[in-house]
Amino acid sequence: MNQQQIEQYVAGKMSQAEAEAFEVYCLENPEFAKQVEFEQRLKAGLAQVSRGSTAEFVRSNNPLRMRLAAAAAVLLCLSAGFYAFHARSRHSQPLLSAVSGDLSRTTGTMRLALVRGADTAPALQKGRVRVEIVGLFDTGVHYVVSLDRLGPKKEVDTLATLSGQHASTPMTLEVVIDSDRLERGAYSLRVRRQSSDEEALDFGFVKF
Amino acid sequence: MDFVPGGELTRRIREGDVSAESELIRQFEPGLRVLLRRRTGGDHGLLQDLVQDTLLVVIQRLRGAGIDDPQKLPAFTAQTARNLAIASLRKAERQRTDVDSDLTDRNADPSQGVEGHAEDLEAALAVRALLRELPHARDRLMLKRFYLDDHDKEIICEEMDLSEAAFNQALSRARRQFRQILEERGFSKRDLLSLGL
Repeated sequence: MNQQQIEQYVAGKMSQAEAEAFEVYCLENPEFAKQVEFEQRLKAGLAQVSRGSTAEFVRSNNPLRMRLAAAAAVLLCLSAGFYAFHARSRHSQPLLSAVSGDLSRTTGTMRLALVRGADTAPALQKGRVRVEIVGLFDTGVHYVVSLDRLGPKKEVDTLATLSGQHASTPMTLEVVIDSDRLERGAYSLRVRRQSSDEEALDFGFVKF
Repeated sequence: MDFVPGGELTRRIREGDVSAESELIRQFEPGLRVLLRRRTGGDHGLLQDLVQDTLLVVIQRLRGAGIDDPQKLPAFTAQTARNLAIASLRKAERQRTDVDSDLTDRNADPSQGVEGHAEDLEAALAVRALLRELPHARDRLMLKRFYLDDHDKEIICEEMDLSEAAFNQALSRARRQFRQILEERGFSKRDLLSLGL
C-alpha cells in the first residue's frame, strides 16, 4: 500500500472490493491506518473550513496581521497563566483525583458510559464520589482525564485535569470527584490518551 | 505487516487473558477509525460509539464462540464494523422519516454517510492553523482543488503551472505540518469555542 492508494481511498475512488481489502489491511497495520486517518481528517477539516468561507484559501499573506495575531496570542497565554496560578492557589485539596488504595473515604459511586440516545444525564451524589468511566481502554497506556463545567451558553470551563491515569480494566477507568466542591450544574469528564492527537471521549453528568 | 497473528490472540482472549483484549484494541482501533470515519459522514460521536460497539462485539465473540478461522480476524472485525455502521444508518433514517426503503438503501452506501452532527472540530482548527502557516497562496489553493474539488493532480499541475514533483512536495509538506499541528499543539474545547467553530 502506498500514498497514492491512501489518496484514492480517501477520495472514494476505489472500487468496493478494493476499498474493503484496503480496510482489512488497515486493521492489520495500525501505523498505516493512522496515516490514512490523518489524510481523512485533513480532508474533513478542509471541508469544514471551506463551508464557513473560502476566503482563507485565497487570502494574501499579511505580515502586520500575523504580528498582531502573535501579540494577541502572547497576551492570551499570559492571561491564562495568571488565571491558572490564582485558581490553583485558591484550592489546595484535589477536586479530581486518582483512585488510591484507600477507598474508605469515598461516599458513593457513579458509573458513566456513552449511551446513544439517552435523555437524562447521571447525577453526582454528595461527598467524595468514585466515578467508574466505562469504555474501551488500553491498560498499557496513560490517559488524561479533565473535569469541565458546561455553562448555559455552551461555554466550557476546565476545572481540573489529571494526567497519567491507567484504566483498571480494558473497560473501566476510575477517578474520584469531590462533589461538595462543585456547584449545581452540568459537567463533563473528558478522557483522552496522553500524548495523542485522538479526540477525547466526553461523559456528561449533572450536580443538583 | 505488523499484525499479531489472529490464532494466538483469539486463543488468549478465549482463555480470559485481559492483556490480549488490550492488544486487540490497540491493534484494531486505528483501522476501525479509518473504516468507520468513511461511513459516519463526520459525525464524531457516532464514530466513537461504533468503534466501541465493534470492539465489544468482537471481544465478546472471541470470549465465547470464537471464529472459525482466527487468521481472518481482521476481515471478521471489518465486516462487523460495516454491519454496525449500516444498521446505525438505517436506524437513524427510520427515526428521521417513515420507512422508505429506497432512501435507506441509498444512505447505506459506504460512500455517503449521515450528515455530520458533531464534527471533527480539532481537524478544522488544525486546518485553520495550517492555512495560516502555509507561506504561499498557491499552496492553499492547491489543497482546496485537490481535496475539496477532487481535481486530478495532472490537471492542477497543468493549470497552476507546477511540475508534479513540486506538487507532491507541497502536498507532502502540508500533510506533515497538519500532522505536526495536531500532534504537538492539541486543542481544548475552549480553543474551539473561542474560534467560533
